[in-house]
Amino acid sequence: MKPLTPGRILAVCGLLLAVLFVVVVISLRMGAYPISISEIVMTLFRGVAGQREQIPSEFWLVVFGLRLPRIALGILVGAALSTAGAGFQALLRNPLADPYVLGVSSGAALGAIVSLVIAPHVPGLIQIAAFAGAAATITAVYFLGRRGGQLDSPTLLLAGIVSASFLSAIIMFLMTTLSGRDIRGMAFWLMGDLSSPAAIDLRWLYFILLVVLGSIYTTSSDLNLILTGEQEARHLGVNVKRVKLVVYIGASVLTGLAVSVSGAIGYVGLLVPHVMRMLFGTDYRLLIPASALGGAIAIVIADTLARTVVAPTELPVGAMTALAGAPVFIYLMRRKVR
Amino acid sequence: MRAAICCGISSTMLGSATRAAELRQSGAAKAGAAAQQSSGVAKNEPAKVVTDETGRRVTIPLEVKRIVSLAPNLTETIYALGLEERLAGDTDYCDTPPAAKLKPHVGGAQNPSLEAIVALHPDLVLATTSINRIETVDGLAKVGVAVYTTHPQTVRGMLESTARIAGLMGAEARGSALVAKLQARLDAVSARVADVPLVHALFVVWEGPLITIGQNTFIADAMRWAGAESVILSQQKWPRISFEEVVRLQPEYIVFASDHAGFGAEELGALRSREAWKQLRAVELGHIAVISEEINRPSPGLVDAIEQLAREVHPEAFRELENGKVKMENGHGPREMERANFGVQELRGLKPRDLSANGLSPLKRRPTNQERAAEALRAAIKPGSTAASDACAGATL
Repeated sequence: MKPLTPGRILAVCGLLLAVLFVVVVISLRMGAYPISISEIVMTLFRGVAGQREQIPSEFWLVVFGLRLPRIALGILVGAALSTAGAGFQALLRNPLADPYVLGVSSGAALGAIVSLVIAPHVPGLIQIAAFAGAAATITAVYFLGRRGGQLDSPTLLLAGIVSASFLSAIIMFLMTTLSGRDIRGMAFWLMGDLSSPAAIDLRWLYFILLVVLGSIYTTSSDLNLILTGEQEARHLGVNVKRVKLVVYIGASVLTGLAVSVSGAIGYVGLLVPHVMRMLFGTDYRLLIPASALGGAIAIVIADTLARTVVAPTELPVGAMTALAGAPVFIYLMRRKVR
Repeated sequence: MRAAICCGISSTMLGSATRAAELRQSGAAKAGAAAQQSSGVAKNEPAKVVTDETGRRVTIPLEVKRIVSLAPNLTETIYALGLEERLAGDTDYCDTPPAAKLKPHVGGAQNPSLEAIVALHPDLVLATTSINRIETVDGLAKVGVAVYTTHPQTVRGMLESTARIAGLMGAEARGSALVAKLQARLDAVSARVADVPLVHALFVVWEGPLITIGQNTFIADAMRWAGAESVILSQQKWPRISFEEVVRLQPEYIVFASDHAGFGAEELGALRSREAWKQLRAVELGHIAVISEEINRPSPGLVDAIEQLAREVHPEAFRELENGKVKMENGHGPREMERANFGVQELRGLKPRDLSANGLSPLKRRPTNQERAAEALRAAIKPGSTAASDACAGATL
């Protein structure tokens, strides 16, 4: 393994950014509305230059109204989920941890269902209620998962799993009593779906994403030490309690953010950090940005497939991530074993 | 965990109804925005602002040349109006009439591609609360496509929607002609069954688990037009019921839609051989009505299904049509004897007239032919006046 230098981090991130850019352009090109690469480049160029009136109105509509917002949402969700996954895997020191392992998605789903029961479809309310549900869950799990005044990984994991099943039971109860209501939207939401435009301004969501990503990144060298053992890290002067708290809150907020706008998209948060580890090593200083970019790439590819493989019908992106993600993961895992 | 939730959903999916209420509320909230944005498509064309059946305000060009339908019942309505040349696209589910299958598809009714819809350059997109998701309507409104959402709750609501759709497309005359024709057929049916008691029937939406209809569905309303009443009294749209309840209530007839899991006439034998079903007197007597799947769609074809159901459950009322005999006196036909043996009304402790106390009996409420046609047309001219509560989803699925 080559030593990790700032240069290497920049090189890897640059490479992933380039891949992401290519994927975005290809994704912009794909879809039911026929539009060529040169027309997309022209539309993008003129759109950025503020010459909207020179673009045919339908190109504008398809590129800026439909495809780009969806891709932007995908990048946000992918980056948030993968970073959260990497964070939880370190925090819980468990390779099976994913963003939903502590019950965040169940809490968000419960919030969403409760909002459907109380105030059916007020725009944006579902997202806010989902986020509130996620926040309430992580707070409860935090207090359940403490031992001796600080977060204890096995206790936290158990508390999270138990909370998740408890919340799922409540969800099922609400579902059965709700049978007269529309659960269709909810079904898509639980499978993970990017087809519904976000009711909340994407710029706010990106702002939160970047702030949280930054704060998790500040703990990355400490996380490397914690992974070798909490005692050792403490001896080396790491404030283990603070690092765990930052990662716990940060990863939970990212998960809540992603789940509330797109529903529970599975697999990405589990797979992408592992894939990045296999490709670029286990150093969290590189792993965190690489996971964020890798997650964005994965979701954009998955969503592009989701809206094109059975076009014009659209699949939920959650189905696509698992379908495409699992074989890639198995391939990389077997190759590493050899 | 997720898998478990999904199981929970898929079993409840059938029982799920729509979010009409949601549509209405968000419609009110978004009315202004939608009206402004939808002018993006019809730039310089003259346009009118209408309120759709969910309370949303929609800006629609005066001349609607291209229309995209997002639901099978809407596609069928457009064909029934003879306006199919203007149908630019429909969904994968639109199979009636068969010609509808040849139109460009924009995807499934619940998850169409917004892009595919935009690519068809529609002046107007038709959606319905019974099958489409509000996210689809929101998404289209957001990019400035005019979406009119229908919300038929009853047979009459279906007629009103039909007239309104004709009005949106500038074909009021065709609309009122079609509505008057359908109304006349409905009146002919209700005149025949007006004097015979309501038949108590179980409408089977799904067998495993057993799902039937609630009182506030348009299927229940259609059944009342045909002189039949659902044995299950439920405010839920698609209640899941236990088989014991059916055995206790002993419906006189069991009604299936023909598309239901390949249900055909030969399935009667299969039902009879099943331990649970053969306990039902209706099964023993072969009182099983398999009617057109049109019963599941609030479209003009619903009237066909109503006629069919009325003939199935009230053969005595239609007898002279078949063999030229005079209609039998009430209560003296062979069917009435069987019904007396059933003692159904004592069993369920609810007589048809009890229903009228809830304002539900169409026998009392059925207005005359002229009144109804006039009413439907009045309602068509003044949109946005449909009744509240949810519409059908499970059945259309």
